[in-house]
Amino acid sequence: MADFDLVDTEVTHESATDLLESIDADSPERDHVQTIQAVRLQAGQPDSELRSLKQLDVESVKLLEHQVDAAYRALFEMDGKALLADEVGLGKTIEVGMILKEMHFRETDDSVLILTPAQLAKQWQGELLEKFGLEYVCNYDDEFRGFDQHDHIIASIDTAKSDRHQATVLNRDWDVLVLDEAHYVKNEETDRYDLIDNLSYNYGFFLTATPIQNELTDLYNVVSLLRPGLFGTRDVFHHYFVNSNQETLVNRDELQDRLNKVMIRNRRADTDIDFTNRSIDTRTFDPSSEERELYQAVSDYVRGAYSEDQGQKLVLMLLQKEVVSSPAALKATIEKRLDGQSELTHTDELESILDLIEGIETVTKQENLLSIVEEARDHVEMGRVIVFTQFRATQREILDRLTEEGYTVHSFHGGHSSQEKEQIVENFEEEGGVLVSTDSMSEGRNLQFCNIMVNYDLPWNPMRVEQRIGRIHRIGQKRDVYVFNMALKDTVEEYVLERLYHKIDLFQQSVGELSSILTRLEESGKTFEDEIFERLVNADSEIDLENDFDAMAVDLQEQRELAEKLEEFNSGVFEGFDLGASDD
Amino acid sequence: MTDAAIPITQSAVEQFTERYLTFLGSTIKREGDRWEVTVPGEAETEIPSGQLVLFCGDAAADLGENERQLHPESSFFQEIIDEASERQPTGKITISSKNTQIEIPQWLQENNINVNDATFTPYYDRSAIAIHYRISIETVSEYQTELLRVTAIDIRSMERLPNLEETFLESTLPTEPQIESQPVDVEKSTADELIAQTREQIVERVQPKIDEIHQEASRSADAEIEEYRQMQQQRIEELEEKKTRLSDRIQDLSESIQQSSDEGDRVEALQKRKELNSEYEDVDSELEELHHRREQGFPRKQREIRERHALEVIVSPLTITQIEYERGELVLELEEGTVTRSLTLGYGDGVGITDELDCEFCHQTLGEHNSLRTIQEGLQCSQCYSN
Ligand SMILES: [Zn+2]
Repeated sequence: MADFDLVDTEVTHESATDLLESIDADSPERDHVQTIQAVRLQAGQPDSELRSLKQLDVESVKLLEHQVDAAYRALFEMDGKALLADEVGLGKTIEVGMILKEMHFRETDDSVLILTPAQLAKQWQGELLEKFGLEYVCNYDDEFRGFDQHDHIIASIDTAKSDRHQATVLNRDWDVLVLDEAHYVKNEETDRYDLIDNLSYNYGFFLTATPIQNELTDLYNVVSLLRPGLFGTRDVFHHYFVNSNQETLVNRDELQDRLNKVMIRNRRADTDIDFTNRSIDTRTFDPSSEERELYQAVSDYVRGAYSEDQGQKLVLMLLQKEVVSSPAALKATIEKRLDGQSELTHTDELESILDLIEGIETVTKQENLLSIVEEARDHVEMGRVIVFTQFRATQREILDRLTEEGYTVHSFHGGHSSQEKEQIVENFEEEGGVLVSTDSMSEGRNLQFCNIMVNYDLPWNPMRVEQRIGRIHRIGQKRDVYVFNMALKDTVEEYVLERLYHKIDLFQQSVGELSSILTRLEESGKTFEDEIFERLVNADSEIDLENDFDAMAVDLQEQRELAEKLEEFNSGVFEGFDLGASDD
Repeated sequence: MTDAAIPITQSAVEQFTERYLTFLGSTIKREGDRWEVTVPGEAETEIPSGQLVLFCGDAAADLGENERQLHPESSFFQEIIDEASERQPTGKITISSKNTQIEIPQWLQENNINVNDATFTPYYDRSAIAIHYRISIETVSEYQTELLRVTAIDIRSMERLPNLEETFLESTLPTEPQIESQPVDVEKSTADELIAQTREQIVERVQPKIDEIHQEASRSADAEIEEYRQMQQQRIEELEEKKTRLSDRIQDLSESIQQSSDEGDRVEALQKRKELNSEYEDVDSELEELHHRREQGFPRKQREIRERHALEVIVSPLTITQIEYERGELVLELEEGTVTRSLTLGYGDGVGITDELDCEFCHQTLGEHNSLRTIQEGLQCSQCYSN
């Protein structure tokens, strides 16, 4: 790098008087060599260890070598300021979990702020608790009282930068700042960048799989937030590392040296992670005419009610999801609606829906589920299958039916104590059979002993779907994984599945990949669920609806391609860089 | 340029602690990772006398009274080395041929020549002084760097003895058998002079590290100056806009004063114009000053930033060790094929060969970068041999 001589160097020689005095006080009984050793040990680097590792419950978290190395280097070699830039799917969250656990053990985590994209906040909270026993409050929790009221907080970065909270966030001296998806702050002209730039913290851990979004300057911005001055000025960085004609990287070695002080990037190819195959089998069934009628009635009701009062969105969305899950799930909500409000305008409509529910004798999905579990019973070790549904009522129906048919069943839902949950999983492992679970089955549970799962109904949130699959298809799964999706023809479920999820190849994506697709979409402020629901109620015709879903799929597809390009671009730039765990 | 620091491994920690506690007269009963220590009442130490239990590594999370952890980062170990590091910073040790092996330099062996025999005959005792220096390099933008270096020089000839430095560092490792020490017998004034002689040279030795940090500090200062420049530029733009706005408003007021027939309105407008004029002047003079400072390149701010990023290097002598060693003659019996030759060289224990040896053909000095090639027709170096 261009030679710089902007600052002076002043050399001071400390007085030797005291040292010389000790010549006179020299006593034969004292051991001079011991003092030499003490002086030399004082100057040595402690052989630091991750002391908290032994406290981790091996049942809840399996640590991989590259993760332990990354946590170690970030803490001890980078003095607690690091950009964790592993390729997607290598467990950056685990690395941060280890770091935070260690800091907790060393009591250097009095105040910690974790900033994430909105849709990942709850997942972070769950993982830290279940894998590392670390309790964090999330800004979406009811008990959240503000950024000055808790010491360990997970929040969406946009909440933190909102007018309501920003002052409080900036007013505090945080011990630790964790910034997930750090590439979203790469632009120095955004509010997000300003927020991080103005935050006061001692230790910082930034995460991203794609430090570079458009140009090398992105890297400059992210690194400069973490270690100001490491790269000098933007201009100098640009002149020195970027060939401005071709916008290509020059002086790689020096860039690598400099990056090595602050960035860790493990590559999939360098780790021994080996994911087994994942097979997806989507089965769509013709609903019976009764079911078809019911679906139509509910959809009409939802559309009508929504056009009158958009404030009921949540409950209407619920009805639309329940009708494809099971008549039982729908029934409870309809009844509650009838009982709850006396001045309801659509009483007749609701009554007739109830009649339609009563008229259904065979539930198509239930019948078809039987053939899947039966296949499993014949072919898979102890016939273990996990069936996921979003609704308790559906869960109960499935359990009853499977019991009737003579299957060993296990039920898992959010109402159990954590001890009970553990027992349920243990029983499932020992006894085999079918585990019917709601989405409260959490990330920390080890279910690799099972390799077949059924999506009895489908969440309208791709992250949820991936989280379900992630329960069994994770590091430690030794067999191929089979995922069955069940859907009724000509329903919203079929649209979501066929037109959206399959188009973005959802079932083959990892959480990290998905989040980079979705975060861009959600920058508009809408959730995936909203997008689906709006299309459903606003379409004027069947064809309209299909077109709308196709348009959404095109958007997603575009985001997906962008995300893939970025990945490729970054691996290209960092190819030949050694920024992972060292061998020595 | 060897680093004198010792990596703080668990075994180094245990070895040192055991040695230090024993030295204080304590008894240690070891049961696996649990040490039961009894510190005598009369021991000269800050460690409380009586019973003490140490847990090696990371055992027990909850410690009882008189229980401490012992690992590289434990506070107990910190306390021990802090205490020991100040206990006896000066002393004398002896390196003798009885416990050192004769060192035959690599440059004598990079060939087909065998060293059949090497005999050292000590003639006289010499004294050297080894000094440990801590060099700490500090600047605002980088983590503080602390280096520990040792230098050894012969008291009489004042020549630096790099080999003796190595020998000294090696023989004082906690893993080595313990060396006895005695009180120093050089004068304070001599020691003082030796420090004055060596401390500049120690800085030269770590200069590459200083340069590296200097570069980084310069870069940070540059980035900060640039940031400041941009901020001022922004301020200039703001002020210029404000100036234009004020000027427009003054213009408007002037027009309305001329056109107004109502005296009350006119007085009010005049009043307002006066205020704005004074505001305009303030803005104008601030702008002028900023323009001026920008042309000058913001010298005061630059100076302030540069000063803040300046490097402070502090060199502190920590220990003085008088090393007694023997000098004499080393006789080497060399053999190459059928030719044998005997070579007599000045030699010191722990110091190595003290004579310079020249090629008998070209008279270049033999050494690390010019090894002995053949002894067939006299000593010949590899440089002139290959020509
Ligand atoms: Zn020669």
